[in-house]
Amino acid sequence: MSASDRDTAHPMQDHVHMRKPKPRPTPEELRARKEATRQRVSGSVETITVSMGPQHPSMHGVFQAVLDLDGEVIVNTDARIGNLHRGVEKLAEYRTYHQFIPVTDRLDYISSFAMNHGYCEAVEKLMGVHVPRRARYIRTIAHELCRLSNHILWLGVHIMDFGAQTFFLICFRDREYILDLFEMLCGARLTHSYARIGGVAKDLPEGWEHKCREVVDFLPKRLDEYQRLITQNRIFLKRSVGIGIFTVEDLHTWRVTGPCLRAAGVPRDLRKDEPYAAYDEVEFEVAVEYNSDVYDRFLVRMKEMYESCNIIRQCLDNLPDGEFLAEDAAHVLPLKKNVMRDAAAMVQDFVHVFRGPQVPKGEVYRAVEAPKGEFGVYISSDGGPKPQRLHLATPSFFHGQAVPALFEGEMLADSVGIFGSADIVLGDSDR
Amino acid sequence: MSLKDIIKKSAFVEILQGMSVTGKYFVGDKVTVEYPKEKIVPYPRFRGMHALLTDPATGVLNCCGCHLCETICPSQCIYIDTSEVDNHKSIDRFDIDLSRCIFCGFCEEVCPCAAIVMTKVYELATYDKSEFYLTKETLVANQVNAHKETVRR
Repeated sequence: MSASDRDTAHPMQDHVHMRKPKPRPTPEELRARKEATRQRVSGSVETITVSMGPQHPSMHGVFQAVLDLDGEVIVNTDARIGNLHRGVEKLAEYRTYHQFIPVTDRLDYISSFAMNHGYCEAVEKLMGVHVPRRARYIRTIAHELCRLSNHILWLGVHIMDFGAQTFFLICFRDREYILDLFEMLCGARLTHSYARIGGVAKDLPEGWEHKCREVVDFLPKRLDEYQRLITQNRIFLKRSVGIGIFTVEDLHTWRVTGPCLRAAGVPRDLRKDEPYAAYDEVEFEVAVEYNSDVYDRFLVRMKEMYESCNIIRQCLDNLPDGEFLAEDAAHVLPLKKNVMRDAAAMVQDFVHVFRGPQVPKGEVYRAVEAPKGEFGVYISSDGGPKPQRLHLATPSFFHGQAVPALFEGEMLADSVGIFGSADIVLGDSDR
Repeated sequence: MSLKDIIKKSAFVEILQGMSVTGKYFVGDKVTVEYPKEKIVPYPRFRGMHALLTDPATGVLNCCGCHLCETICPSQCIYIDTSEVDNHKSIDRFDIDLSRCIFCGFCEEVCPCAAIVMTKVYELATYDKSEFYLTKETLVANQVNAHKETVRR
């Protein structure tokens, strides 16, 4: 990619580099530019092969990329995943539906609740469990907190890829407030296991709403601070604008979802398109950018964080009273306080633990908008207490397989930033 | 490029903007604690090392030996042996292998007699792996660290 190709039009760049605004490139132009680099690269013959990862300090997790380089330009990438494979889908076949919830924590361990939530939504669809309204609101709040913590962590690591060490610590400081909220809520900071089939494990603790509101009120101020540090930073702009461009067709081909897709101008968001939990009762905007480069993915995630704060505030305002776990003896594990008092609940407890829930035969697929993209769960049930087959369509896996296409024609030094912008967690990808 | 732009670019305005944020926190309060000297007290729902509660009046184990926690445990780290003595179940063995435990808290959730609880103990590093294997005696001794809220219930 030549220097003139790098200087793609971007309003922020124009603002900082004091050029006249240029129109945003159309998908056709983007495709032509990508094709031009491909043409240029395919002419060369001599390449050297470099292995990056799985223990490279700048790689996110145990991802190995074997790069064929022509000088500094990446010609071909061999993406190797599977170093963190634990056979999660097979594990599901040996656990009851309830027992599998903690395992989903370990998929995308940065946003555990989103994984719990996606799995429970799928199981509820299979069993036909009606989730109480309060539980749906609590789930929405927890899911958005998860998105905030995921994006803040991503931001810190991503900016560190570009060489800013301090910013990483700033992000970790602010993520800590959200982790504290989760610790108050469910007792764990990372592996939450908070969602249950039919609701959530525990009601909001005393004083939690107030504390959450405080965090949600000051986080936008912190986000403004991030913007001051980064959004117009000359180094970051030079290294991110116009880099790692992906056309909409490419994104659909590789099934890239989430912020990466929205950065290409596609307003696809499952929270809006197929609402789950309480997303149909809150108002929010889908963050969309159009240039589909590393910088726009950053902008989309920044916007999403502001929107998350908005959603949480709305949920806290309209939080309904009532049950936080469905009263459905056939499918839902009873509450501990009922077990201690009520004989019927105790029987229900024993039946659930020793035999499992009553599950109809059938197949379901349910997807939620996890922070990294669409997280889909497919369950095939033969009527037993354990799934016959469970398949997980995790966002990181699809983003990981798009990496060779993203890297093609880019500079070696940019590859780390591009990889970071795809937001991949290997626990999610390898399963 | 106008004169204003040239000045803006040569004066590193955006760098100064960023440094103003850094400078603000340079003089502000610190958010960290000096860990080994200061310790953070976890919140009441924190899921730390397990404990077995006893009846404060009689000193008898609350556990009724129903094997629910052993069955629900997703990582199968609880081992229970019971025997019957005078029409009463006695717990011969109640072991937890902490090196297998994933701290999901299901055991505490399903327990029908408030026997097994999770405590606020989070410093679990040891030099010897055998210390991860908790026996009934260690679990009962650990009940002093249980959250007050769980004991009251």
